[in-house]
Amino acid sequence: MLASYNWLKELCPGLTLSASEVADKLTGAGIEVEGQKPYGAPDECIVVKVVAMRPHPTKSGLRLVTVDTGAAQQEIVCGAPNVPEPGGLVVLAPLGTHLPAKNMTIGKRDIGGIPSEGMLCSDSELGLSEESDGIIILDQGKRGQRVTEVVPNDVIFEIGLTPNRPDGLGHIGLARELAALVGIHWKPPFVVETEGRDTIELLGVKVTIEDGVRCPIYAAAGAINVKIGPSPAWARYRLESLGVRAISNVVDVTNLVMLETGHPMHAFDYDHVQDAHIIVRRARETDAMKTLDGVTRELSEDDLLICDGRGPVALAGVMGGADSEIGDDTTRVLFECAYFDARGVRRTARRHGLHTESSHRFERGVDWDDHAYVLARAVDLTSRLSPGTKPLAGHIVVHGEPLSRKVIRLRHAKIRGLLGVDVPMAEALATLTRLGCVVTSSSAGNATEADVEAPSHRPDLLREVDLIEEVIRVRGIDTVPAELPAVRPTRDVGGREAAFSRVREAAVSLGLSEAVTFAFTTKESLTKLHAPAPSVTLKNPLSELQAVMRTSMLAGLIDAFGNARRHGERSARLFTVGNTYEARNNSSELREAADNLPVETARFAALLAGDAPAYLKKPRPVDVWDALGIAEEMVLRVTGTRADLRRDTSFAHLHPRGSAAIYVHDTLVGRVGPLHPDVLEAFDLGTDVMVVELDVMPLARAQAVRCVPLPRFPRNTRDIALVVSDDVPAGLVLSGVKKAAGDLCEEVSLFDRFTGDSIPKDHASLAFRVVYRSKDKTLTDAEVDAVHTRVISEVNAAYGAKLRA
Amino acid sequence: MSEADDKKAEIDRALSALCESFPARFLGAETEQALRDENAKILGKKGELSAILKELGRVAPEARKAIGEAANAVKAKVEAGFEARLRELAMRKRDAELNARPFDLTLPARVPLPRGHRHPISIVREELVQIFRSMGFAVFDGPDIDTEENNFGKLGYPPDHPATDMQDTFYTDKGHLLRSHTSNIQIRAMSTMKPPFAFIAPGTVFRRDDDMTHSPMFHQLEAFLVDEHVTLAHLRGVLSEFAARLFGDGTPVRLRPSYFPFVEPGAEVDLGCPFCKDEKTGKRLGCGVCKHTGFIEIMGCGMIHPTVFEACGIDPEKYSGFALGLGLERTAMVRYGIPNLRMMFENDPRFLSQF
Ligand SMILES: [Zn+2]
Repeated sequence: MLASYNWLKELCPGLTLSASEVADKLTGAGIEVEGQKPYGAPDECIVVKVVAMRPHPTKSGLRLVTVDTGAAQQEIVCGAPNVPEPGGLVVLAPLGTHLPAKNMTIGKRDIGGIPSEGMLCSDSELGLSEESDGIIILDQGKRGQRVTEVVPNDVIFEIGLTPNRPDGLGHIGLARELAALVGIHWKPPFVVETEGRDTIELLGVKVTIEDGVRCPIYAAAGAINVKIGPSPAWARYRLESLGVRAISNVVDVTNLVMLETGHPMHAFDYDHVQDAHIIVRRARETDAMKTLDGVTRELSEDDLLICDGRGPVALAGVMGGADSEIGDDTTRVLFECAYFDARGVRRTARRHGLHTESSHRFERGVDWDDHAYVLARAVDLTSRLSPGTKPLAGHIVVHGEPLSRKVIRLRHAKIRGLLGVDVPMAEALATLTRLGCVVTSSSAGNATEADVEAPSHRPDLLREVDLIEEVIRVRGIDTVPAELPAVRPTRDVGGREAAFSRVREAAVSLGLSEAVTFAFTTKESLTKLHAPAPSVTLKNPLSELQAVMRTSMLAGLIDAFGNARRHGERSARLFTVGNTYEARNNSSELREAADNLPVETARFAALLAGDAPAYLKKPRPVDVWDALGIAEEMVLRVTGTRADLRRDTSFAHLHPRGSAAIYVHDTLVGRVGPLHPDVLEAFDLGTDVMVVELDVMPLARAQAVRCVPLPRFPRNTRDIALVVSDDVPAGLVLSGVKKAAGDLCEEVSLFDRFTGDSIPKDHASLAFRVVYRSKDKTLTDAEVDAVHTRVISEVNAAYGAKLRA
Repeated sequence: MSEADDKKAEIDRALSALCESFPARFLGAETEQALRDENAKILGKKGELSAILKELGRVAPEARKAIGEAANAVKAKVEAGFEARLRELAMRKRDAELNARPFDLTLPARVPLPRGHRHPISIVREELVQIFRSMGFAVFDGPDIDTEENNFGKLGYPPDHPATDMQDTFYTDKGHLLRSHTSNIQIRAMSTMKPPFAFIAPGTVFRRDDDMTHSPMFHQLEAFLVDEHVTLAHLRGVLSEFAARLFGDGTPVRLRPSYFPFVEPGAEVDLGCPFCKDEKTGKRLGCGVCKHTGFIEIMGCGMIHPTVFEACGIDPEKYSGFALGLGLERTAMVRYGIPNLRMMFENDPRFLSQF
């Protein structure tokens, strides 16, 4: 909403605040002024009189206009078609004038051999309107006078209104608000009395409301002997300053009245209203209409129409029809001022993809009881903008479902109870009265309660809290003191946040960086990943790239890696946390969740690609063991428990040679491995990628660390190097060693793996360190040797492992 | 002279010869190993001293004691000489080491494992959660996909009302929606628990907006407290405390009335800009971050609307409460000077590595 500072000053004669002060006041009360800009011609521009005119000697279409600036005469090259005869007043931008609207500064020019020092300006060149047909021709002013003294100078506020304040969509509403905030009076513009002249009855118009719920009030007034033409300058500039194009006097009247009252109106060429009958009804299957924008509309039975004897003439509250539009030859005008059900207007506007000044206001709820003023004002303005008009006195009004003013009980105790501030009842009631409320019952003085009637222009005042908000809003919500509440302790519900936090902590400590990935993705990505088919699909996605809810975290990570590669980053160590989404489909799940919401599973995923971190040497590419390390350490750091990795080739998106399932206490919590070559190719990755996927909540639930007593006796350590065929997994040998070593063995670890040299082909030397310790005594070398010898012979028997020579 | 006497004299000579020669031999050893070798040649089991004393049996028994004492004296001298030379060599090595070319400390440090980086949204998220936790709020989890009833209906968004324009919403094929704010959590808490409670709800939210300043997915944190006798002054108290913990002691809080269907009164909250504060006066001088206003618009808040209480089966005459919410992206942008929102969703490693 654009609002004029001048207009507000006219409505609030006592206003002494500057434009910036007005902006601060309104913003402080929740009518947010988001910006203000000056409106008016540049200071340097002056009024000049045309003295003579001749065609340009070489350039057709251009003329040389001699103007009198009061101080001198000069010749200006001008291309405008409408240069007035000598004696006419026009606007000159002298040399050096800056025209912000065109972002240009007038310089010395040479046009077809003729020097020109200055420019005769149009409204648009001065920033007074969006477009213009020719240069400005003034109807008043003196030679040499500053143009700013002749055409209006204003400050235009850009106001960002919240949808609960439709009253702010008109200057009267803003003036009322401002007056209440500043503590001054406001008054509506004077309206010429139309009594005692011809009345609206002269037109013989009949109005029928067929849907009284959608149209509770329909009122109309009229004027005859209207001559359609341009509005006078003041009206045009006012509209243009507020971003509304001046069209013709009668259309301008409807716009001016709307900007003043916030109530959209419609003007019909009465001679095109068939049968002099206005019918407000819902659309029928057979109806069709062409709206003002030239579009032929298919109508729905939910659309409310204004019809005449022939058919639809307007989409009620949204847009007029092309047929009954005001034309150049219109002489009899019928003004409509109606109140339409807000929700209905909104549905129609949305259905037709229309958002008009009218629908915007009706959707938010216009004043339902201001038609008498609105219509009188429109008729009054018509006779001013179109001299010779015969205004018709009075108006007709037809009612649908009755509307009434809400009466709300306001309790003094509740004000304090809600705000924590003691506002005297007298102050509260005075504030409400200034905003247009009527106090209907109150034991004056030290009243503890009062009945307050909400005005018709404030559809947002419905309950006591709404009144209390008005009271504190006008007093200044920022005056409420700070007081700390006694917060009674509560426990977490769910635990996802804490779990995510622990997972992030662990991942970052492992050198992974967090990517924030979208919860939606494409079906194709999930297919390429062999992830579960998406079962939650968006009905209205912004694009196909975000059409389904993810069932795997990897799609987003692969995108992130793709971004990194585009920036020339070869390596990635990324993770992401978030949910995957799957619809419930089996009946027990359905029973469990009455609302049938999808299952959201908290997940972690990591992606490793490119080089592993190395220190001053040729880096090596990441491999599956890096991924295993991330998997094991993630589990350990989040849960304090060791993960159990088991080779598992059932994950179609992972490389069958390197994929493993991750278990914690025999619960499957995730999987790890290189992406399958087919997946790499499908995503065009061109490099090996390792991934780790974990379910977050089972990790969060896993048991915490248990402390064990420290050993009392020393350990006895033996190293053993075994040559084993590559067919035998090292882990198997390790567990064989452990088993053979029996109870005295505390720990076995693989500390070296060696191939080549003297080791036969397809074999490796595995060096294990075996720690022996007894709970009861210090072991002797002989005791350990005995066990160790047995270990060697057993793993030899079991795995063909030979002692390395 | 008897043979035994001769032997004794021979041994005496040999001992004194050894005694005289060893310092030069030790001095000749330039390394610790050479010194030890030399020492072993003299004192080892098969060393020169042992060789000399082998002849002891042929000395008259009464003289043996004296020779033994002399040999021990020599041994002690050699040992002392060895120790001294050893110390000297160690000292020399130490000095040489200390005075050698300094290490090249311009080589990159060897970090055990470079740490990763939390996303700025997560940093802010965890920080805010921590602030509210320490004020007594707990976290209430809820789903990203919820019912229209929880996201709009019970919050008092009337159907077909322009208020829902503020939040253009994604719907799923099953008739649910991607929550457009974290306010669905107040509904879930109030519908399932009895007051009093104080919760926060950090989480992912979705709106159908995708341009330079909007992402279709973003994050919010909502806090709400419901109890008997909760007032707007309490809300302001919590906001002030929050501001102090986020941006430092004494950070001013400014309220401007605003509209959210589920609160009444409702307000926008501006916090004093932490980036242009004059440390002496506490005044804000204005800067680019606060667009020269000295304040940063950071959240919305209000007193929970009685309609919301009624929709959740809580008596608004008995209980009152407040809710406040803020965008994590906006908070992160302010906190870290992130110039545009899109950067937070591109996961560019050059961006992530800054946090
Ligand atoms: Zn600042």
